[in-house]
Amino acid sequence: MTIFLQATAEGLSLAGIYSLVAIGFVLIYKSMDVLSFAQPALAVVGAGIISSLAVDRGLPFWISLVLGVSLTGILSLLIERTFLRPMVGEPVFSVAILTIGIDILLRTTLDNWIGLNPRYMGDPFPSYGNFGSISINGVTLKYLELAAFSTAVIMIIALNIFFKKSKYGVAMRATSFDQEAAMAQGINVGRIFGLVWFIAGLLAAFAGFFITGGFNTLSQLSFTFALRALPAVVIGGLDSIPGAVVGSIVIGLTQGYVAYYQISFEEFVGFSLGSGFSLVAPYLIMFIILIFKPDGLFGTKEVERV
Amino acid sequence: MRKRPNLYTNYQDENAIFSNSTQKAWFFALIIFSISICFVASDYWLLLLTRSLTFAIGAWGINIVSGLAGQISLAHGSFIGIGVYAAAVLGGTATSSVIGYELDMLFWLPLAGVVSALVGLIIAPITVRLKGLNLGLVTLALVFICSHIFSNWTSVTGGAGIGRKVAQIKLFGVNLENGLTLGNIFLEREQLLYLICFFFCVLLGFGFKNLVRSRVGRAFAAIRDGDIAAEALGVNLFRYKATAFGLASFYAGVGGALASTISGGVEPGSFNLLFSILAVAIIIIGGVGTVLGPLFGAFFYIMFPGLIQSLFKATGIGEQSLALNLGQIEAIVFGLFIILFLIFEPRGLWGIWFRLRNYFKAWPFSY
Repeated sequence: MTIFLQATAEGLSLAGIYSLVAIGFVLIYKSMDVLSFAQPALAVVGAGIISSLAVDRGLPFWISLVLGVSLTGILSLLIERTFLRPMVGEPVFSVAILTIGIDILLRTTLDNWIGLNPRYMGDPFPSYGNFGSISINGVTLKYLELAAFSTAVIMIIALNIFFKKSKYGVAMRATSFDQEAAMAQGINVGRIFGLVWFIAGLLAAFAGFFITGGFNTLSQLSFTFALRALPAVVIGGLDSIPGAVVGSIVIGLTQGYVAYYQISFEEFVGFSLGSGFSLVAPYLIMFIILIFKPDGLFGTKEVERV
Repeated sequence: MRKRPNLYTNYQDENAIFSNSTQKAWFFALIIFSISICFVASDYWLLLLTRSLTFAIGAWGINIVSGLAGQISLAHGSFIGIGVYAAAVLGGTATSSVIGYELDMLFWLPLAGVVSALVGLIIAPITVRLKGLNLGLVTLALVFICSHIFSNWTSVTGGAGIGRKVAQIKLFGVNLENGLTLGNIFLEREQLLYLICFFFCVLLGFGFKNLVRSRVGRAFAAIRDGDIAAEALGVNLFRYKATAFGLASFYAGVGGALASTISGGVEPGSFNLLFSILAVAIIIIGGVGTVLGPLFGAFFYIMFPGLIQSLFKATGIGEQSLALNLGQIEAIVFGLFIILFLIFEPRGLWGIWFRLRNYFKAWPFSY
């Protein structure tokens, strides 16, 4: 039972991290019909900025966190402005490939900066011991995991309020519903696109910090962690924010359970699934779900005019 | 009649491989030039040329499925990997850790394509049901599943980080690994490999050209332009989409098997997501859906690092004095080219070639 709770706790914290990236994916997809493969790269770039400010420049952690997150948001906004704006109205797939090009640019630059040694993120509460943990009934909870989960919850609630109450939130919903009609109502659609990318950049940078924080460290491989938010989005449906959250929970829990139960499962069925299976399991689940529900669990069914 | 190159009096003429005798003459001149180049070029450039030819074969593969039939495939790199390992098992030597049957190239090369095509056909029932982004995402999942299998199936692939030796070049029972003496000419391994790859590149290039002008090619184009409309016109969607995936995987398998013989060894980690994206990028840079585009794209991608290196040598800039290393410069320039081509020239290098050709055709008039 302890193992089960431990796996669940770790899975939920992973779910929190994934949902931060996943919501960014969904926001961009909903408003612009663009699947941005640059999102995971933005997450690690955010982590890189935080690390360079907090560790290399020696700024206080909280200032570097705020600066890193907002700089990533601005970077994301600039990317939209320079590369994505000329592509409005182009086929979905061309734009998706274009974001892969952006992803290559961002990550190569970042990898060059990271080098071979892993980078650390700095410590928010040095007095609590370097990213420590608490133990409840034998279940070890890292502070970082708790922080990741609660940040995700806070972000989701905040975004929800933003979309329901604020002027720009309503404008964003209108834009994602129908761009031309929104324009006719006097909404500055271009500004909305920029805002969407900015928010997505913020969320990605937060996720980037939680991916690489503590003992996880930022290395050239951290990117693959953020990329696993993609199966989460696809499972939930590309255009549904609740779907993204549910998808993240599915992926996070799967990864957690597989990590803890793979060996006993392999002994039970009698063949090996291979090392690192918990990292492939999300893609396997996405593969299976897409076979049965091509639009994801919560996605709107695509209606096509011939 | 000879003076009017664009006048066609029947359908056969319009659809011919070479639309006029000038084109045919240029083509044969190019063939002779390409063959003679292997006696002149240094080993370094010859290997780059050979690599370009094999990459072009692979790129034609993805051009069949994505360019002609309009089905997005991000798993092309994995099919290339399957071809590489099929060839390595059939044509490679067995060691204590990996299996190998040391067959002749006559067997392992086609079989590499066939095995890859079979895998493509096995997953066809899944890929045929999806379209657009969802198809792209399923094939993305396939990349991760395949690379997981590659790194864990150690008896075939040697395992992650270790790798294995690939197929031996043995043709008609003659081992070509140490060169070959024909009369009083001695051909080195590099030259032989170049000639073999050149032969298959021309062969499969013609195959692609013929596919475009055949019934199957027209069905692919119909599916690309509107799959529901194509179905209404009597195109069997399942059959043709599956054919597209099968053919693409065949090209991938053959191209991969040939490409792997150049380096002699292969590591499972090389068939990652980036490798599959590379395949897409090559046809985007070259020109999607065109016959010559993948060739241009492959040559561009492979020759480019060589050109950058020569540039450094010529200008006397040491690699150490730069902030980025050569691989990173390549990656950055490559990423930039993907972006710039998509924004400014969606028809790729082929589009540039097309406009240049038309400009000089009409010169000194602007049209």
